[in-house]
Amino acid sequence: MIGSKIRRLLGNHDRVQAVNAQETSKLAPTRDERLFLVLSIFIGVISGMLVVSFQVAIDWIKILTLGSAPHAGQYRLLFVPAIAGLLVAALVLWFFPAARGSGVNQTKAAFYIYNGYISFRTVIGKFITSALALGAGHSLGPEDPSLQIGAGVASIIARKLGLSRQKLRVFAPIGAAAGLAAAFNAPISAILFVIEEVIGQWSASVLGSIVLAAISSVVVERRFMGAEPRFRIPAVTVRDSRELIAYAVLGVIGGLIAPVFSQALGYLRPKLRAMPRWTHYLQPAVAGLLVGVIGFIGFPQVMGVGYEVMDQAMHGQFGWKFLFALAIFKLIATTLSFSSGTPGGMFAPALFIGAMLGAGVGSFEKIFFPHLTGTVGAYALVGMGVLFAGFLRAPLTSVFMVLELSGNYSIILPVILANTIAYLIGRALQPVPIFEVFTHQDGLDLPSLEEQREETPLHIEDALQPLNVPVVRGEDTIASVSTTVAEARVPAFLIQMPDSSWYAMTVDELTAAGAAVSPDTPVERVAKRDRVPTLFPDLPLDSTLPYFPRWPLLPVLNRASRGTLEGIITLNGVLKRYQAA
Amino acid sequence: MDLFEVHPPLTAKERAEKRRLMVRDFVALFTLVVITVAIGVLTYFLFSSFSRHRDVLARRWRANGERELREGHPDQAIDALRSALQYAPGQRDIEIELAMALAADNRNLEAMAYFNTLLETEPGNGLIHLQVARLAAKEGNAALAEEHYQQALDGTWGRDGYLQRLSVRLELAKYLISQKDYTRAQTQLRTASDNALNMPEKQMEIGELMEQAHDPSDALAIYLAQMRKKGAPIDAFVGAGRTAYALGQIELARRALERAVEHPEFAKQNPAEQQAVRQMLSDSQTILELYPDPNLSVRERAERISNDARIAHSRLTACFASANASGEMANLQGQWQQIPARVTVRMLERNPQLEQTIMSLVYDTEEQTAQVCGAPTGDDALLLKIAQAPLAVQQQ
Repeated sequence: MIGSKIRRLLGNHDRVQAVNAQETSKLAPTRDERLFLVLSIFIGVISGMLVVSFQVAIDWIKILTLGSAPHAGQYRLLFVPAIAGLLVAALVLWFFPAARGSGVNQTKAAFYIYNGYISFRTVIGKFITSALALGAGHSLGPEDPSLQIGAGVASIIARKLGLSRQKLRVFAPIGAAAGLAAAFNAPISAILFVIEEVIGQWSASVLGSIVLAAISSVVVERRFMGAEPRFRIPAVTVRDSRELIAYAVLGVIGGLIAPVFSQALGYLRPKLRAMPRWTHYLQPAVAGLLVGVIGFIGFPQVMGVGYEVMDQAMHGQFGWKFLFALAIFKLIATTLSFSSGTPGGMFAPALFIGAMLGAGVGSFEKIFFPHLTGTVGAYALVGMGVLFAGFLRAPLTSVFMVLELSGNYSIILPVILANTIAYLIGRALQPVPIFEVFTHQDGLDLPSLEEQREETPLHIEDALQPLNVPVVRGEDTIASVSTTVAEARVPAFLIQMPDSSWYAMTVDELTAAGAAVSPDTPVERVAKRDRVPTLFPDLPLDSTLPYFPRWPLLPVLNRASRGTLEGIITLNGVLKRYQAA
Repeated sequence: MDLFEVHPPLTAKERAEKRRLMVRDFVALFTLVVITVAIGVLTYFLFSSFSRHRDVLARRWRANGERELREGHPDQAIDALRSALQYAPGQRDIEIELAMALAADNRNLEAMAYFNTLLETEPGNGLIHLQVARLAAKEGNAALAEEHYQQALDGTWGRDGYLQRLSVRLELAKYLISQKDYTRAQTQLRTASDNALNMPEKQMEIGELMEQAHDPSDALAIYLAQMRKKGAPIDAFVGAGRTAYALGQIELARRALERAVEHPEFAKQNPAEQQAVRQMLSDSQTILELYPDPNLSVRERAERISNDARIAHSRLTACFASANASGEMANLQGQWQQIPARVTVRMLERNPQLEQTIMSLVYDTEEQTAQVCGAPTGDDALLLKIAQAPLAVQQQ
């Protein structure tokens, strides 16, 4: 019902905007392009500040509700997340229905379905409910909400400036990159994630704006939080090539855990959503209570975001058994919190589980294979990337995230090895990525970006046919050309004009021209003024389609020597190639 | 977009519309600037307030952790220090304290892992090496302990690095003494002594450690140096007396012990210590009375030798009569029988060769009877003391 209301509102808004955009385009044709870059910076700055405030709000709420040092055995661990769950559920169900969930899919939906529309109410709702839930100990992360807050800021600004629908649409991912960059303090990873997971393809037109917004937001974030990376990364080195075996083991463990996590979420989330509506008010409270029980019995580290716990794990503050226990309890706690509909993200929990697994493997190795001298921090760091690759299925982002967080490129080999193994195992065991699973559960049909990434676009060379039609010169007479064409028995042929341009003529066109002029007339005289487009083998195949209504066939030229024909393409050949793909 | 694209001219209405659009964009951007500034100010105040609160929490939890550690509650100190680190991440002092708390709580594995990680980020930190060395020593890993003690000596320290290194060296010496590696302990203590020339308290500590490392002569040198200083502590006199006595330098011991007894602090020593010093002084005086000092008059010297011979012979007779008497004793008895049966003081005064033979026999008797019949008491014990280093008795 709410969805249809939004769509109706959007419909009116779009119609008004379309008219305005048309007028604006006529009055100031370059206005949108100019504003685009300036607004990208504003979006970055505002998103950066909102994300800083969001993180401070989470920490304040945590201190106020759970105390400055929550530890096992405190009764407040039991009731604080439960009460916060009740409050969050009421807020989400009564006031901010679009604030539910992580924020990544909502931003994708805004991009693909709602023309970049994210309401002001959603931004406010996401801020308040996520801060409350995370601060009170629900096991979720702030990155995805930050991404949605950034996208919302971008959407609001673009709408207020009355930009065209096309521009409005691409502003959402720009804001998303800004929000995520500030949350991570890692602009490159944020940019890559938005391209990998939200837009799905490299687009030069928005890349500049995404970079500007992400950098602006990170500059603002660092102004407040300091230039240090999110985690204090200890010295990261690979001293012995045999260590790669341990990293490969980490990749296998991550690859096995990631599908377990995905399937737990994929199973529990729809079950809880299908329950009667009145239970939706209680689900976050029950989830909070169960998460609180985990904290109460001895694992308060799993409550909340857990950055400081990841940091501690990286610095060898826990034994390997405790680290593995933390990974398992975090998985359970996050599954409960997220499936109950509590607003919050999946990034931090995935990083947390990965860091614990990595540090666990590293600590285990230190004890049982002390001659392999890799640091625990390095394993924790690689572990983060492993879960990112296996669970969130963003392999490129996972590699760059680790490099950006560590600032050390010597770790690239273990990162690529472990992430690739985790990605392949994760994909084999859980073919549908987790965000896509959520999309289907929500009844949306967004493009599968993982498949899109792997699609190989067809090029002209894929439909290229050998030159099987006559090629005549423009100076040749109609009589000689007619003879040549008649001998070849083809419906069309190519004419090379004196200025090196090309013309594709049908036999019918030649026959009609021959009836009107003398047979000695050069064929170039009867050709029309237009010429076939200049095409090369490496151009996208779909770029040829607009030309076929006009031309019976198209010559394909060599880039090094334009006079040399590589072959020809025909509409029939192109269609056959697409059917075969 | 084509740079030279030709657009149809705007009508008057469109031009007015365009102006309105420009004004609207300007106002919108200006509003955006104002909103950005407003959000910036709010964020700044929120963040500043939160940062101050974090600092307060970090200090409070650190103080709690240190107090718990001092009071012997390392488990509670661990929780407190972990909390402190949440609000002051990366603060090295707190990290080291946390690792120390882990070690104090016997969570050695965690502590070692933590220390190793700290070392990875700061491989030259002397304090961390020292803690690792202590942990390794606690776990009985002598090689690792000595390696990290040495790295602690070579590592970086704060402003008082000189003193810290000295303390580490003394701790290493103590550890080596506990491992009965006295030679290396002595080397470390000599270096420490050279490094602490103007530190009387440290010198005294080094002296005591040298005694424990079986190096009384260096210990004596240190005590003597301290004794010569104005306002020297009583421990210097007692130490000098004790070590000189151990070395058989009885005259020196006597003088040092006499000064110790006269020292104003002597009365404040505990009774057992006082008694021990008095006993040693008394023994020194007796030894000096027994010792046939070459500087004495011939008669006086002969009398002492005669007395010493009588004491030693009585000891031999008693020992020989016991069940443990052996062939060696018989040999000694034979040597006694070779000297005249009744040696008078006059005989000794006239025959320095006899003096030497008798004293040599006295020393052999005391030494061999000590081996066969057990440690002597009384004057025999004091004669044995002289026998161990007869030439040192009068050494200054």
